[in-house]
Amino acid sequence: MTNERLTAFTRQAGTILATLIGLLILTFCIGRLMPVDPVRAIVGEEADQATYDMVAERIGANLPLWQQFFRYVNDLAHGDFGTSIRTGQPVINDILHVMPATIELATFAIIFGAGLGIPLGILAAVRRNRPIDHAIRFVTLIGHSMPIFWTGMIGLIVFYAMLDLVGGGGRLSDYYIGLVPEATGFLLIDSLLAGDMEVFRDAVNHLLLPASILGYSSLAYITRMTRSFMLDQLNQEYITTARVKGLSKNRTIWHHAFANIRVQLVTIVALAYGTLLEGAVLIETVFSWPGFGQYITNNMLIGDMNAVMTCVLLVGIIFIALNLLSDALYKIFDPRTR
Amino acid sequence: MKPFMKIMAPALLGSTLLFQPAYAETPPNMLVVGFSMNNILTLDPAAITGKETVQVLTNIYDNLVALDAVNRAQVDPQLAESWTIAEDNGSITFKLRKGAAFASGNPVTSADVVWSFKRLMKLNLAQASFLKTHGFSAANADQSFTAPDDNTVVIKLPKKVDPQIIVQTLGIVGPGSILDMKTVMANDKNGDMGTAWLTNNSAGSGPFTLGQWQSNERVTLEQNPKYWGEKPAMRRIMMRHLAESQSQRLMLEKGDIDIAYSMSAADLKALENNKDVRIQTNGGSGFYYLAVSMKDEKYQKPKVREALRYLIDYQGLNDSVLPYFGKLRDRPVPAGIFGALPNAGYKLDVAKARALLAEAGYPNGFSTTLRAISDVPFMSLATAIQATLAQAGIKAEIITGSGDQIYGAMRERKYELLVGRGGGGQLPHPDSNFRAIVYNPNNADEAKLTNFQGWRTSFYDEKINKMIDDALVEGNKDKQIKDYEAIQTYYADMMPSIQPFSEVVDSVGFRADIKGLELNPSWSTQLRTVKKER
Repeated sequence: MTNERLTAFTRQAGTILATLIGLLILTFCIGRLMPVDPVRAIVGEEADQATYDMVAERIGANLPLWQQFFRYVNDLAHGDFGTSIRTGQPVINDILHVMPATIELATFAIIFGAGLGIPLGILAAVRRNRPIDHAIRFVTLIGHSMPIFWTGMIGLIVFYAMLDLVGGGGRLSDYYIGLVPEATGFLLIDSLLAGDMEVFRDAVNHLLLPASILGYSSLAYITRMTRSFMLDQLNQEYITTARVKGLSKNRTIWHHAFANIRVQLVTIVALAYGTLLEGAVLIETVFSWPGFGQYITNNMLIGDMNAVMTCVLLVGIIFIALNLLSDALYKIFDPRTR
Repeated sequence: MKPFMKIMAPALLGSTLLFQPAYAETPPNMLVVGFSMNNILTLDPAAITGKETVQVLTNIYDNLVALDAVNRAQVDPQLAESWTIAEDNGSITFKLRKGAAFASGNPVTSADVVWSFKRLMKLNLAQASFLKTHGFSAANADQSFTAPDDNTVVIKLPKKVDPQIIVQTLGIVGPGSILDMKTVMANDKNGDMGTAWLTNNSAGSGPFTLGQWQSNERVTLEQNPKYWGEKPAMRRIMMRHLAESQSQRLMLEKGDIDIAYSMSAADLKALENNKDVRIQTNGGSGFYYLAVSMKDEKYQKPKVREALRYLIDYQGLNDSVLPYFGKLRDRPVPAGIFGALPNAGYKLDVAKARALLAEAGYPNGFSTTLRAISDVPFMSLATAIQATLAQAGIKAEIITGSGDQIYGAMRERKYELLVGRGGGGQLPHPDSNFRAIVYNPNNADEAKLTNFQGWRTSFYDEKINKMIDDALVEGNKDKQIKDYEAIQTYYADMMPSIQPFSEVVDSVGFRADIKGLELNPSWSTQLRTVKKER
């Protein structure tokens, strides 16, 4: 490694570390400013002061805030993420349990969102101000502006309750819960590993609706951004030149205009995926999906700071990793950045 | 792009059809119950809080006795086949039934019973308060709970109380749950008496054992093959975390769940005409009330408190805001409990309230704050009360927040008016209501008796404290009933700081083919009696 590269690497590592520490401090402060009392959550409304004080001492809630923070960071430095108040389990075990459910949901959602959103965005740009463009913009505007909680509930009423096309809440129907061993936590993978196609079908059936609705909200964003990027490119002189030189319309769009927006698209799709991983709480609530979004929110509501801090740390790492990944992809798609 | 749509449309439709659900109803030998499990933080009977955990554990752990679901005055035998109260009311002797065993196969002995109670007191967690109220403590636990032989348990009362309330307390899931000492102690970690292990494991002798608890996901109960009683009809109970009432309703309508424990009034109402669904309402526990803080100068005046009594639309609140979850009650003892007087019959009477306010020196009313949890039904209750207060010139600014914020302010005695829920009731004994609502042994701020709502409202009346204490030790049942009636009359006359307007009831929806479901007002609804008739 040359000196320049070493310096760049050190600088980047330092930035990442500073970001994560800043994130932890901010989360801790917000968590402690929130009017929630983890001790009261444990002892209940009827407990007397003696019980309250005893539990406060046990979980360290009676310590000054700075001591609580440094205790957490110290444990973290020793690889101990702490125990969750809500589940009584090591936080890391909880996260390993809830994360696959969310990854499954977010991955399907982003496949749906990007798979449809990018072509629709290109179509809207190419047919700018024509009826199809207006129709696409209208549909994406709805996806962008409708509360996902409401969309989820309407989706359940129409596709589950009325049309009987998809499963209801949860990841599986009652018949199939516990039938396949939890090897990876990803139900689709576990059911395939167990060779149980019925469970696989049921899992997909339960995944379709929440993933589509979640994907719809990201589709709206991706479509609008794609349209905007494409319009920018289509207005460039090199496109006119290519067309004048006799290049077909399709070839101009896909080989020139689209090729030039891939870098930007990678960034927005990566960020949209990161948002889906940590921000699917509403859809997880409506669909009783035992995922990461619900876990972090429910723990925040009772002041379970071990769990909240570890989750925030993880979200930070996910976003940093996605940024690094998109940086790497930049270099592949755009030779100028190499 | 046309080819694109030609491919995508059939693909989407095909995928939904391909993965269509195979079953439209729950399995015949598995009961599926849906409710919000947000409040379940542990399954250790000594540490639980709230109704939801009781609903789970009542199917896993037996008690010495059980509180009857229908006749609230009745206590049924469970692990104890009989009990006798000493003539001096100083002790209770329980005779255990023979042949009962824990799920582990270990027999249920008096040593397990005594150890369970000692563990409760020594851990001093949430459920210990039920017995601490009556003088039990970690220090006297060894003397209070003894086992003369394998089938006999003697409980010596540390202070003079009605032994009946102790028997009833032992029927509550939590303080009365009997644990398998050997199994729990085999999982002791650093002297925690198995607390960490019991968070998500079970060691009971009830009809079901804990299969799996996934926080905010599901609780699975498996039939206990060692259960001493009649074999339950269901092989498995699946309790699913469904936080949203509407999700519960949709799944109940579709038959994907059999029972929905926590639906909103709107969803219950929507199901009224569904022939496949039944709704059951039973007595619950506690009250909805309007509380004042006696720290506030205005509310120290009895005339002002009396005026507030006539600024509540009792009938309107119960009819419009509290159907399915409240029943009109203006006394601090639930209807049906021994000694309960009929309603006093308070009504919204703005003219009378205005006159009382004028007498108190507030002819034009005053400004105040009204706190309520920002959740149903509290916000609707607060809004309705705000409107009736305004009719007498009282301008109440509503302050909303989470339970911690609203009850936290009450615990810190920093509020003016508050719409809340509470006041005992899990125990079918008037003492539990009076002690929760008005009893206050020490009104000093430093006493921090936050578990007494009387203290939270800064209300102190020596006479009513004595009346409550005396009634609890009254040995003559008829006299005791008269005493409790007298306390209610006195409570009404002295213009209390807490005015109940509704007693809390529970309502659940369940599929029409579910038989044998009997909601227990003490939350301990047994699912072993439930079967499906298809």
